[in-house]
Amino acid sequence: MASKFRVLIASTLVVFSLIASAIGFTPAQAADAKTLKIWTFGNVIQPLLVREYKALHPEITLDIKKSDLDPLNGRDLVTACTAGSSGPDITAIEIAYSGYWRSYPQCFMDLRNMHTTVGNKSAKTIKKDYLPWRWANGVAYNNAVIGIPTDVGGLQVAYRTDLFKKAGLPTNRDAVGKLWPTWEKFIAVGERYMNSLSTKDKKAGLGFMDNAGTIFGAKLNQGKEKYYRNNNTPNGVLIYKSNKAVKEAFDSTVVALNKKIGTRVGQFTSDWNVGMTKGKFAVILAPAWMLDYIKQQAPKTAGKWDVAAIPGGGGNQGGTQLSIPSSGNPANRQAAWDFIQWYLAPAQQLKIFKTYGFFPTTTTLYDDPALLNYKSEFFNNAPIGKIYAKGVSALKPIFEGKKQRAIDSAFGNALARVAAGKQKANAAWKKALAEIATAVGG
Amino acid sequence: MTEQVTKGSRIFAAPSPWKPQTKKQKPQKINGVRSLNGNWGYLFTAPFFLMFIVFGLLPVIYSVYIAFYSWDPLDPTYQVFVGTDNFIRLWHDENFWTSVKNTFSIWAFSTFPQMAMAIGLASILRNPTLRAKTLWRTILLVPNITSVLAVAIIFQQLFGRDYGLINWMIGLFGFDNVDFAEQTIPGHIAIATMITWRWVGYNALIFLAAMLAIPNELYESASIDGASRWQTFRYVTLPQLKNTITFVLIVGTIGGLQVFAEPLVFGSATGGSDRQFSTLTLYLFEQAFTNINWGYGAAIGIAITIIVLIISLINFAITRRLSSEDAR
Amino acid sequence: MKLSFSKNKFAPGWHRVRFGGYFSLGLITFISAFPFYWMFVVASSGTEEISKMPPSLTPGPRFMTVINHVYEVVDFTRALLNTAFVGVVVSIAQVFFSALAGFAFAKLNFRGRRFMILFVIGTMMLPSQLGIIPLFIMVSKLGWIDSLTALIVPALVSAFGVFWMRQVIDSQVPNELLEAASIDQAGVLRTFWHVVLPIIRQSAFVLGLFTFLASWNDFLWPTLVLTSPSNFTAQVAVNQLKASYVLDYALNLGGAFLATAPLLLLFVLVGRKLVQGVMDGAVKG
Repeated sequence: MASKFRVLIASTLVVFSLIASAIGFTPAQAADAKTLKIWTFGNVIQPLLVREYKALHPEITLDIKKSDLDPLNGRDLVTACTAGSSGPDITAIEIAYSGYWRSYPQCFMDLRNMHTTVGNKSAKTIKKDYLPWRWANGVAYNNAVIGIPTDVGGLQVAYRTDLFKKAGLPTNRDAVGKLWPTWEKFIAVGERYMNSLSTKDKKAGLGFMDNAGTIFGAKLNQGKEKYYRNNNTPNGVLIYKSNKAVKEAFDSTVVALNKKIGTRVGQFTSDWNVGMTKGKFAVILAPAWMLDYIKQQAPKTAGKWDVAAIPGGGGNQGGTQLSIPSSGNPANRQAAWDFIQWYLAPAQQLKIFKTYGFFPTTTTLYDDPALLNYKSEFFNNAPIGKIYAKGVSALKPIFEGKKQRAIDSAFGNALARVAAGKQKANAAWKKALAEIATAVGG
Repeated sequence: MTEQVTKGSRIFAAPSPWKPQTKKQKPQKINGVRSLNGNWGYLFTAPFFLMFIVFGLLPVIYSVYIAFYSWDPLDPTYQVFVGTDNFIRLWHDENFWTSVKNTFSIWAFSTFPQMAMAIGLASILRNPTLRAKTLWRTILLVPNITSVLAVAIIFQQLFGRDYGLINWMIGLFGFDNVDFAEQTIPGHIAIATMITWRWVGYNALIFLAAMLAIPNELYESASIDGASRWQTFRYVTLPQLKNTITFVLIVGTIGGLQVFAEPLVFGSATGGSDRQFSTLTLYLFEQAFTNINWGYGAAIGIAITIIVLIISLINFAITRRLSSEDAR
Repeated sequence: MKLSFSKNKFAPGWHRVRFGGYFSLGLITFISAFPFYWMFVVASSGTEEISKMPPSLTPGPRFMTVINHVYEVVDFTRALLNTAFVGVVVSIAQVFFSALAGFAFAKLNFRGRRFMILFVIGTMMLPSQLGIIPLFIMVSKLGWIDSLTALIVPALVSAFGVFWMRQVIDSQVPNELLEAASIDQAGVLRTFWHVVLPIIRQSAFVLGLFTFLASWNDFLWPTLVLTSPSNFTAQVAVNQLKASYVLDYALNLGGAFLATAPLLLLFVLVGRKLVQGVMDGAVKG
């Protein structure tokens, strides 16, 4: 035993010195075989298309690493850019972080200067295909193009026809849309729904919508400005205090919270998933990309859902862009750009829309019959292509600023405190402002 | 890397410097073996010091340096020396004090019940009439081998507000569902439960080892005096555990001040809507990685170190007093 | 009552363990084991079964489906092999370097020894998160990002290991033995190799096990430095399953189950040694 132990130690030391000597050598690769490292979150890079690309380009391997959104777009990309190397070849950046990264164009390749192997396409030549305000999210303060938009998070209302019927509300999607031209009316409908519930249902935590706090972002995104004004500098001008739209959106949400029309279930939690299946709530403010999520999580509710127009007309929540970090492997940049251009071309975006519901960013598709006539059986044959196309076209460009994610989260937390009855609206608002001051100050 | 064995209460496994004095105990040697050439000591410790200084210490020193700057990691032109500004700001930062409060609250909820349970379990295990001793001891250690990540995922599900198993049980007793993810104290209890679940068996073994060192004669004479179970425990066992309790407390505190993964997975990066799960290390992470204020994050790290030092000194002072009382 | 003690020949003075004691132990066994069982239950059921009220307490039929699903997202076998490789290398290196330094601190006379020991103990109090940013930059400059080297090299030594080994060697290796060895003209290195290592092998094994467990369960640093699925460790793979909009508990816990099962197996084999190690550490020394 004693000698075995020493043999073990000795042999490990040998293995160990081998490893030590291997450090510093990068593994050799076949000449044109390339492995593209992709950092992403959620389902931005869809498996169906990955398989297709592999068939087209067997020499390319796509290494996909998923992380949670905040660590990925905040921590991981920052550390990669600081280190200046070992970054991914392609990264997904969510719209909430696009404002942050537009301040640091040096962390990304300027896609105006990248040209595809086939067709010599650059960001300059493909720009005309894309929805202008979504394209603008990928443009840095110095006009460098650092990201190409993957999808528009067009926002509409997903609702349960069966529950609406039970509550004595209209079920037809046009009639439902007409119920709530404004957010005030929407909240009033919510009250009507709540009044129709039995005491037992109320006690069981049933509600009109999943989470009334989501009204804040939806309403705010319908305006022209949010927290920042663009002045073509890295930092932008902070206007979150002076912009009345912010306070108005906050106050409307507080009204909805106080009338308790939401269930206070957090989105993307297990309770939310289950609530969807069990009909705990009848309404979700649903960006296009969420439709697939609902389908996946609540397959048994097929046909019971429908989609109606959102109060206030149009809206946006989320959406992503693909970028090539300058910290990635220089030898892979060409292949990375080739992939991005292919993946986000209209033909592929249409496939993604039909399979996963992500709404395309290329405007040519918006009057393509293939999109306009697309109906989803799950959503009671709603023409979701047409509904979302209309909403997306109605949107005005809105500037996403540097520390937007932190500001969003401060207001979101403030509303959650009001919802939980921990704080009154005024105090919550003040605390949010103080927290934002700390977050943007440093 | 740094998050190695030193982390958390695993340190318990160390032969304790505060160990109970037993008969077998040899006096601590001040000098090594004379006949061995001492200069080999430099060579023998060199690999450790070399690696440790490069990968352990240098990064920490660099962090200390960063703490005196307002530092945008992505903009090389923006690295302004701000002196002690970060520390002054920290002193006035409400969120920092919230995280101090949360850390100590979670620490208290996890330490004291855990200690009582561990001592209780140990005194059952100590009993020579117990059957299947080894089996029980082994079972106690099982939770300790699970990863914090797995534990957090499981407990997050168990503590779910609407469909969690624990709320279902609470419902059986006729109470309303508790929103562990929203309410402050229940949330702290949930996190403390995860910590306790992982460590209670471990600490029970530590106490068991200390109890086994108590001479059997003490129990015999107690029984001759007709002491009850409780009296035996209170007047024979407990006084002998003083040093072990202090030790477990110190190490538990060092681990408790670094609680990180549980609140991160249970809450969110900001630690809940009311910052109710924002512990010190989580706040460090939020500042450094979410708000990307590296200088400020480093200042929080230094503050944590200072708090650990103060607590260790207090503990040290108490231990010394206790042992000098013993000597009397 | 007193009579009943005197009947107890083997344990004079002890009250017999009664129902209450066994009940407490049974309860703690149940509480310890339940989350593992629950992990399996959830991993083998759908969202619906999990959310049934009262909850379903028996495993569902979907376990293999879920595991296949896990494998679609990430190659778990590869991840487990990576984790095992890192764990073995790190734990053996830590044991070896710790024993080397611990031996010097315990048995050799050299200037600055006391100061160095204090230094080692002092550094154990630093919060580990403090240095993570600079360490990342350093590792990245060395070109180790996305390789297992980034996990192995910074973990080769630990202050805790040295501290432990110093205590172990101090208490388990008698000075007389070392003096005898040096009379035989054995060099310091030979003495270490032939005399010290064989004596401390039990404790070394326990230190190695703890290091292995810590390395296996570490997740923050690996998630930071590993980027390609082919290099993932088990914890990163679990995090990978968690990191999507679709919060799927069955999938998550399926992954957690795969990442934990090898440890449970290992525990069946060496659990008793670990128990012994914990208890040894606590009193003797």
